[in-house]
Amino acid sequence: MNPPLYELRNVIQAHSGRTVLDVPALSLAAGAIVGVTGPNGSGKTTLLRLLAFLDRPAGGEIRFMGEPCLGREGTLRRQVTLLVQNPYLLRRSVRGNVAYGLKARGMSDVRGRTDRALAAVGLSPARFADRARHELSGGEAQRVALAARLAFEPQVLLLDEPTASLDAESAKLVRTAALDARDRLGTTLVVVSHDIRWLTEVSDMVLAMEGGRIATPGA
Amino acid sequence: MVTGDRRGGWVDYILDGLRQAFVLLFTGDPQTYSAVQITAITSMLAIAASMALGVIPGFLLGYADFPGKRAVRTVVDSMLSFPTVVIGLLVYAFISRRGPLGDLGLLYSVSGMVIGLTILGLPIITALTASAVEHLDARLKPTLLTLGASPWQVVVTTLWETRFGIMLAAMAAFGRIVSEVGIAMIVGGNIKWHTRTITTAIALETSKGEFAMGIALGLVLMVVAFAVNIAVSAFRRISEK
Repeated sequence: MNPPLYELRNVIQAHSGRTVLDVPALSLAAGAIVGVTGPNGSGKTTLLRLLAFLDRPAGGEIRFMGEPCLGREGTLRRQVTLLVQNPYLLRRSVRGNVAYGLKARGMSDVRGRTDRALAAVGLSPARFADRARHELSGGEAQRVALAARLAFEPQVLLLDEPTASLDAESAKLVRTAALDARDRLGTTLVVVSHDIRWLTEVSDMVLAMEGGRIATPGA
Repeated sequence: MVTGDRRGGWVDYILDGLRQAFVLLFTGDPQTYSAVQITAITSMLAIAASMALGVIPGFLLGYADFPGKRAVRTVVDSMLSFPTVVIGLLVYAFISRRGPLGDLGLLYSVSGMVIGLTILGLPIITALTASAVEHLDARLKPTLLTLGASPWQVVVTTLWETRFGIMLAAMAAFGRIVSEVGIAMIVGGNIKWHTRTITTAIALETSKGEFAMGIALGLVLMVVAFAVNIAVSAFRRISEK
């Protein structure tokens, strides 16, 4: 039997001596869609940053595919990616932004992969590839940021309120592209959102968080 | 009260200076163009040396945390307001015949001026590069990490993201270097055809009453400043694409 993709045991995260996350046990299966909801300050983003290997927990252990993560964060970050609500686009063209992760990994067919990733988020490469970041609307910028992450076909896509500041059309395109990555590539999705209806509809598991704890893990 | 005649007098004086300035520039007056050429050579070499020596330390000063960082930053910031005449004096003391580098024959040479002007530009490049790095968007590093960048790729990309700040630092340093008088005068000696720059020539010619050459050289300085500004704007437009 395959181990869970993520396994968290007694994981604690603290900022300035204050515990902001306390997860005694949590397992996430590969290929699953996991919804995370809860009020502001409940620890959702902290949990996502740990799952993205951007931070190390103050206590406890995180295992990825059955192996402890401590000391391997740099390698694991090449399999996991995070998209936040207001992503930063690099000071280069849309194509340069989408190609960045591919080049960082030394992957081949950068142009083809870039074009396909842009098309997957509903942006025509012919129209958008050469645009600068200041020539994009908020929704387009968010979709470029998603394309930059889909391009290298990550094993895990962590989405932190990816549609919170988007219009309905852009939000729909972002959701469709993320779900398509899961269906096509088996990408595990962990989605933080306040849209509980949508989370319940698409997720295999919804984590309701409150005060840094997972209140109700369940389907 | 200024009379009409007197007003007409000084207007004519300035207009005549401008007219003569254009004559000097468009007839290729060798003395004028010698000062322009020496200014271009010393400024270009000094800005190149300042950037070669200052960008990486400035980047590290803004990017990295290390013991004593605040003290180093204070020293670098203080050097921004170092009087150029004092820099000239210090360089003079080192390269004059009785100084420790006297045997190198740098006094009253272009090389000596470049050393002094580099010392002027270095803290500007270092301090402004450090500020540019410190003011980068806080989301940059996590973004690069989530895109799979290695620690080395994070550093290189951060440096590239700072390129406009570095260009502005270079522009500010170039402005100081190209318009500098004290170092050029003390270290260069203002020797015609050899070390006379635009600014030292303006100072000398104006004091001699040769107002036209002063204006001509001043116009060249303004054109240079304008051209540098346009070049930086063009660079910004092109490299965002």
